[in-house]
Amino acid sequence: MKNDTGNKIKLGIFITAGSVLLLVAIYFIGARQHLFNRTIMITGIFKDASGLMVGNNVRFLGINVGTIDGISIMTDSTVRVDMQIEQDIQKFIKTDSKAIISSEGLMGNKAISLTPGDSGVVIKDGDSIATIKPADMDMIMAKLNTTADNASAITTDMAVITKNIRNGKGSVGKLFSDTVFADNLDKTLVNLKYATKGFGDNMEAAKHSVLLKGAFKRMKKEERQEKKEEKREMKEEKKEEKKEEKEKEEGK
Amino acid sequence: MVDTIDKEKNKETKDAQTICEVVNNREGYTLTSFFADMGALATFTLRFFKEAFRPPYEFNEFLRQCYLIGFKSLGLVGITGFIMGLVLTIQSRPTLAVFGAEAWLPAMVAISIVREIGPVITAVICAGKVGSSIGAELASMKVTEQIDAMEVSGINPFNYIVVTRVLACTFMIPLLTIFADAIGLLGGFAGVNIKGDTSFSLYFLQVFNSLDFIDLFPALIKSFFFGQAVGIIGCYKGYNCNQGTEGVGKAANSAVVMASLSIFVIDMIAVQITSFFM
Repeated sequence: MKNDTGNKIKLGIFITAGSVLLLVAIYFIGARQHLFNRTIMITGIFKDASGLMVGNNVRFLGINVGTIDGISIMTDSTVRVDMQIEQDIQKFIKTDSKAIISSEGLMGNKAISLTPGDSGVVIKDGDSIATIKPADMDMIMAKLNTTADNASAITTDMAVITKNIRNGKGSVGKLFSDTVFADNLDKTLVNLKYATKGFGDNMEAAKHSVLLKGAFKRMKKEERQEKKEEKREMKEEKKEEKKEEKEKEEGK
Repeated sequence: MVDTIDKEKNKETKDAQTICEVVNNREGYTLTSFFADMGALATFTLRFFKEAFRPPYEFNEFLRQCYLIGFKSLGLVGITGFIMGLVLTIQSRPTLAVFGAEAWLPAMVAISIVREIGPVITAVICAGKVGSSIGAELASMKVTEQIDAMEVSGINPFNYIVVTRVLACTFMIPLLTIFADAIGLLGGFAGVNIKGDTSFSLYFLQVFNSLDFIDLFPALIKSFFFGQAVGIIGCYKGYNCNQGTEGVGKAANSAVVMASLSIFVIDMIAVQITSFFM
């Protein structure tokens, strides 16, 4: 009989522990779904739910603050999304906050992100919130399409240009294909080389000629003065910088 | 009035016994004997539900059975649960690592333990431990004519033996499942920390972030059915044994086989029903 009571106590502990575990699990799962917090409801009208599901998270500044309570089609082009949000967060969400559909990670679920507003007026229970159209894949693809169109137009133009060059049309084309033109150009360059060398000699001779000596000396003087002035300016700037640094340190 | 009820009961029992004899005497297991077996099991189940709501309620015996079935299986279920959690985590890691999704390890382990591994492993372990012991116990009672002696001394043997055991199984296996889930998740935590480094609070948070009521409740509800199946089949096989000492072994053996099989059949039906609500 004594043993029997002992067994009953053990059984009691066993059953109590099991029930407590179950209640803890229910509490934590429920807490995640905001069953035990006070919540407010806000709605957002989207043009496209983009795969959003009931039970997905609502985020504010990257923190989960609520869940999606319901999704329903309003008209043929609008979707109404009801969001359940913790009452503690209500004060941070302003009337001009916006909702945008985002996703949790690369392969994750969809979620709604609320952006902070700056109107100063706090949102009320049951209010509707403005939405931003998300950059969905279709839009990106459409944009890519126009980019590709542009690229094809550019390459067509390029093809025409290269064709012209190959056929010797235009000055660049002549350069590539006209051997006479290239020959002339080559000769011109050689002439230019000699001409510049000759010019250099002439200038050297001019420096030593009596008539122009004074003028060259003046030019050199001016250059030196300019260099000196530059050095002075540099020094002054450095001094000023040092002064400013000192002032800052003193201010601290 | 009481006489007619008793007569009906006796008739039912005799019917079941003759069917069982037919089944057991056949060489091999034919389709006919399978259906005969199913029919007798259905009658037995029906009788259980009738008797369960009819006094006298054997509350003390029910508690004793709860202790034997529930508390005494906790160690076995706990060890199995822990190992399953640990092994599942270690085995899943390489596959998730291919996708760079090791952070999803706790979520994956939590969902697979709570939804499937916890209930099924617990039920199969109990089918082995409890189902066989019930089958053997009742069969030896039947063979040594203890059941008949009870009837003579005015105790309803069905109420005292079958109803208490089946009810104890029905309520204890879900409870054991909860323990198996909890201990299995602890095993998962150990498994996560063998190669990685996750704090307990982060693991706990990730586990409960991934779980939903749709994971927990269908699993618990189906474990009630698992328990019911283990109890009913164990009792049926034992109660209808009529072959001397040889029959005791057969009853225990077929109780385990049939209970394990029915657990998986119930599991398959349960997943179909659950998927309606997902």
